[in-house]
Parts: sequence; structure tokens; C-alpha cells
Amino acid sequence: MLNDATKLFYQPVVAFFGAVSVVITIYVVWLTFHDISLMRPGQERFIGLDNYLRLLLDPRGLNALWRTVLFTVLATTIELIIGLFVALLLDREFHGKKVARAIMLVPIVMTPIVVGLTWRFMFDPSSGMANYLLSLLHLGPFDWLGNPNFALFSVMIADIWQWTPFVVLLTMASLESLPGDPQNAARVDGAREWQVLWHITLPALHRALLVVALIRAIDSVKTFDIFYIMTRGGPALSTETLNLYGYISAFTNFDISYALTVAMVLTIFTNVALLLLYNLAFKAQARGAV
Amino acid sequence: MKRRQLLALTFALATSSALPAIAQNANQPYAGTHIAVLMEGHPTTDGIQKLLPEFTKETGIEVELEVIPESDITAKMLLEFSSGSGRYDVVQNNIIYIPGFVKAGYIDPLDDLAKKLPKYLDRADFVPGYLNTNIVDGKLYGLPVYGESTFLMYRKDLFEQYGLTPPKTFDQVISAAKTIKEKSDGEIAGITMRGAQGIQNVYVWAGWLWGYGGEFLTKDGKSALGTPEAAASLDAFAKILRDYGPVGAANFGWEENHVLFQQGKAGMTMDATVNGAFNEDSAVSSVVGKVGYVPVPKQTDALKGGSSSLAVHSLYITSASAQKEAAWLFVSWATAKEQQIKSFSIAPNSGVTSEAALNSDEFNKRYGAFKEAMLASINQGNPQYLPTVTAANEIINNAGIAVSKALAGTASAKDALAEANTANDAALAR
Repeated sequence: MLNDATKLFYQPVVAFFGAVSVVITIYVVWLTFHDISLMRPGQERFIGLDNYLRLLLDPRGLNALWRTVLFTVLATTIELIIGLFVALLLDREFHGKKVARAIMLVPIVMTPIVVGLTWRFMFDPSSGMANYLLSLLHLGPFDWLGNPNFALFSVMIADIWQWTPFVVLLTMASLESLPGDPQNAARVDGAREWQVLWHITLPALHRALLVVALIRAIDSVKTFDIFYIMTRGGPALSTETLNLYGYISAFTNFDISYALTVAMVLTIFTNVALLLLYNLAFKAQARGAV
Repeated sequence: MKRRQLLALTFALATSSALPAIAQNANQPYAGTHIAVLMEGHPTTDGIQKLLPEFTKETGIEVELEVIPESDITAKMLLEFSSGSGRYDVVQNNIIYIPGFVKAGYIDPLDDLAKKLPKYLDRADFVPGYLNTNIVDGKLYGLPVYGESTFLMYRKDLFEQYGLTPPKTFDQVISAAKTIKEKSDGEIAGITMRGAQGIQNVYVWAGWLWGYGGEFLTKDGKSALGTPEAAASLDAFAKILRDYGPVGAANFGWEENHVLFQQGKAGMTMDATVNGAFNEDSAVSSVVGKVGYVPVPKQTDALKGGSSSLAVHSLYITSASAQKEAAWLFVSWATAKEQQIKSFSIAPNSGVTSEAALNSDEFNKRYGAFKEAMLASINQGNPQYLPTVTAANEIINNAGIAVSKALAGTASAKDALAEANTANDAALAR
């Protein structure tokens, strides 16, 4: 009975949000079966799966998808590794720990627009700080955002700078909540520090790290702002992710239905990939635990 | 009691809504009308914004002016147009979109309004080249707010020092760039131009395209970027920027480019005529008086169209507007010579579209250094410099990718353009 009463509180909300997203998704799918351009009003027509076929054969779209995958995997991995490393380093009592933590919040709370602009100035080839530092080592000047082989990684640096602290903070929080006994017991038994870390601390962090990875991966797929500010997809399309391609299709080419197709495909890919990751990570773990 | 209060309230409401009607007089038939205007962030807009209270005082029309960056303005108005919301009565845009807008029925012709309410209009006073771009199928659709062309800017002092003459062909531009870069030991870039992918690099490269005898579209409306002329022009454009241009030019937009030239770090630049106003402004420029101006060069005499641009940004009245007459009064007032002349003292503006403003002492005093070259460029200005078909934006975007690829060296000029050519034909067929 008590159970039923609580259901009354959340079920309508769940039903409402569920219905809204289902309706919108169906509407978007319906629109992708049409040819809709803002420059050609009144000429909308049903074209079936043509938009999807077009994307399948569109090298620009496929390259953008590949870049999205590359960016997501690399950025997430690097952020996790550096974040974990820094968190382990900070996981002790020292003066100014609170200050360090507060400083780490700064990049996270900055708006991506500001982050993008800041890094664009840092990477400015003639007056940016990055090339100034290189010049002290008698290197450069290096065209960080203008070299198509490196532009994607320059944007990635900005993303890593902004989001690694997020990994650090979450990892630190779960590190602090770990019981200290197993580690001390291992030390008493003569385990070296790296053995304690590898066999006890990391396995205990496993779950927390997976959640952080999932959050970061979802965010990376959605990254748009810093690309838009720093490169707008250039030079030579070298930083055009699927998100950006969808944006350009919609707001430069005014090809609304194709833009929605791009967005739809990205959504499907992301959901499938993340569900797989989620299942692999948690269900497998649950089965293993039984 | 309650009823009496209600009566009192009704009476108060009735009289207050009747008041504006009393305030209206014969001189201000549109008093109290509210119009919404969408304009580009630009010095001319600053001028109009400052002068707006005078318009409201004269006509009683309230203007809600919304200003957003030029790069976002088309998408914003299209979203409103396509939903038929009537959100904006007046919008500002580049002429390249206008044939598409007319075809789609988004904007209205102005001829009848001009006949009915000619108060602010002086049609003969507009620079003909600017006004004519707004005539589609014999009907006038907009009034020009600002216009510009492109020209070549060069450092007179450096040219004298190294014994160079102002270039007339692109070959001469290339050899001058080489000389400047080599003789200055790489301290000064031979030339700086915008390389950022999209309208930025296309706006400048298009001068090379036309100057080498190329064009964007053939007469029967097919893409013409697959030609040897187009490839030669892009090849030269990419080579000169790579070999003698500044580091980072691949990401230069208008801003970065004009700043670098103003700082004296480049021997030449090719860009909009408005850049002259920045070069000659001692508050921001270190090359005041040192810059020479000549029209955009040409490589051959067999041109399909001029190599100088003709970019005109005008005000248009939307078809969904419910207050077209008030909107027209605003359009004709904002573009009238009186406002253009007043705007000189508000913000730097060499793009005036009124002959009277162009010939004013104020203009000569501020922009005399490049006025002659500017007028020559405008007169040779090519109204088809950028394509003006419905798919214009997509064509420019595809061309921008090709220019960016050639510049970055990830594809040859020929291959990059062949790709753009295919994409453009597909866009034109849709």
C-alpha cells in the first residue's frame, strides 16, 4: 500500500517525460523521411530512406563520425588516466588540500565558450602563449589550430584541461569513502605500495571509474561549443565532428531534414555504444559477483 | 459596491485605451505602431541605433531593434520565415540571399510603398551599383544600408624600398610577396589573406577565381569549379599564402587579417574596402598613410566577371509583417542620406550607400586616402562575385572546404575543387 502511494508521485512524471521524448523522437524520425529545406518552403516531400542512404554514402559524414569516435575515445581515456593519477597523488592529507580542490573546480564551472576562446588565444600562432613557451625552447612557431593533422588534438587539449578535474574530484570522493582496513592489512602483510594500489585500491575504484568514464564519454560525444569557437570544423574539415556537420547542414545549408538525419544517426550510435558499454561493465560485473 | 468598482475600472480602462488615439495627429498616422527589426552587428547599425530616438520622435513609431552577428543572422531569420511567425517586420541581409528569399516568398516588393510614402526616399541618391542589386525581375525589394567592394592594399614604403610597382596581375602579386618576405628576412609576410574555412576564405579567393577567368556557376546553372582556370587560381592562392603568408593564415578571419596588416606585419593584403578605414585610423593602425590601394588584379583579359566584389547589405520588409507601411518608413529613413551623414561621427563607416554622403567633406577627410580606389572597385564590382542562387550558402561552404584543403595541403587544388564541384552540382539539383 505504501509502495502504491509513492508510485503516484513519480509515475506521472516518468510517464510525462517518457511520452514527450517518444513523441519528439517519432516526429524527428518522420521529418527525416522528408526533404525539407528552409530555402525551399512549400516543396517538402516524402523521400523515404533517401536521407539515410545519402549519409551512408557521404564521405564527409562518415569522416565526421570517425572523428567523433576518435575524439570521444581519446579524450575520455586520457582524462581518466590523468584524472586517476592526479587523484591518487592528492589522496593524502596536506596543507591547502581544500584550496587545491577549489582551484580544480574552476575549469569545470567555466562556460565552454570562455574555455574555447581562452585556448584559441593561447594557441594563436603569432601572439599565443603556447608558441611563446615553445620559442623559449627554440621551437616553433607551430600552427596549433591551423594544421589539419593537429587541430583535432589541439581542441582535445582544451577539453582535457577542462574536464580532467571532474574525473579527479569524483575519483577523490570515492577514494575517501574507501575503507582503509584492507589496504593497511595488505601493507602489514608486506605488500608494496604499487601492489596495494593495483590489487586493492583500483579494483575498489572500478565501479566509480566506470561511471565517470560513462559520463565523460556521453559528454564528449555531445561536445560542440569548443569546436564551434576554436575551429568551426576547419581547417580542411579536420575538426568536423558529426555534431558540427549536423549544425552546418541545418544552419549553413538550411537542409533541415538531412541535419536531423545526422543527429538521429548520432543518437542511435551513441545509445547503442553506451548501452553495450554499460552492459559489459555492470551486468558482467554483477554476474561475476554471483 | 462591487458593481460600482467594476464600472469605475471599466471606465478607466476605456479612457486609457482611447488616449493614444487622441494623441495621434495627421503628421503621425502610425504613432504607437510597434515594429521589430533584425540587423547585423556593424558600424552602420550602431549609427542607426543611436539615431533611432529621432525617428520615434518624428513618426511616433516604436522600433524594437535586435542586433546579432552577421554569421548567424540568415539562419535566425529563416527559422522565423519558415514558421510564418511574423516576428520581424524588417530584416537586414546580404544580397546573395535575396533571389532565394524572393523565390520563397519571404520578402515583399517595395514599389507600391515607395509610391505611397515617399517622404524619406531619394532613389537617385543611392549609389546605382548598390541599389540595382536589390532589383529582382524589375521590382525593388530592399534599400542598401552599406556596401563594399574588395581591393588590394600594399605598403607603399616597402614597395619603394624594394623597388616594386603596384601589381596589376596575380603573377606580379606573387613575385612582390616573394621579394618582401625574402628581403625582410622573413620578418614581414609578403601577403596576408583570410584562410578560415567557409565564407571567410571564399570571399577573398573568389577574387582570384574571377581574376583567372573562372566563375562559380555556368550560364545554365551548373557548378563551374572543375575548370582549369579555377584550379590555377586556387593553386596560386594556396601557394602564395603557404610560402609567403603569415603563420596561422589558415585560420584567419576578417578580424585577424586586418589586425595583422594594421600592425605592419605584412606587405600586402586583399580584402574588403572597409579595411581602408581601419588602416587609416591612427587609433588602431601603425601604417597610417603608408598604404596604397589598387583594384584587385587580374591574370587575363578574358574575364567572365570582375574580380572585385560587390557586397551590399540592405533592409528588407518581410511578407509576414503586419505593419508594412510603418516598416517602410523605417527602412527609407534608416537608409536616407541625412542619417548616413550623421553616422560618420558615431562609428567608422566607409560603406555609405548615399552619393551625398560619399561626396561629403566628412567622408573625404576621413577616407580620402582610399576613396578613389574604392569607387573604382565598386564600379567594376561584380554582382555575381559570390553566387546568388537559392543554394548559395551551401555552394560557398563547399568551396570554402576546397580552399581550406588546398591551403592545408591535404589535397591538390584540382582534386579539392573537383570534390566541391560534385557537391555543388548535387546541391544545385536538390
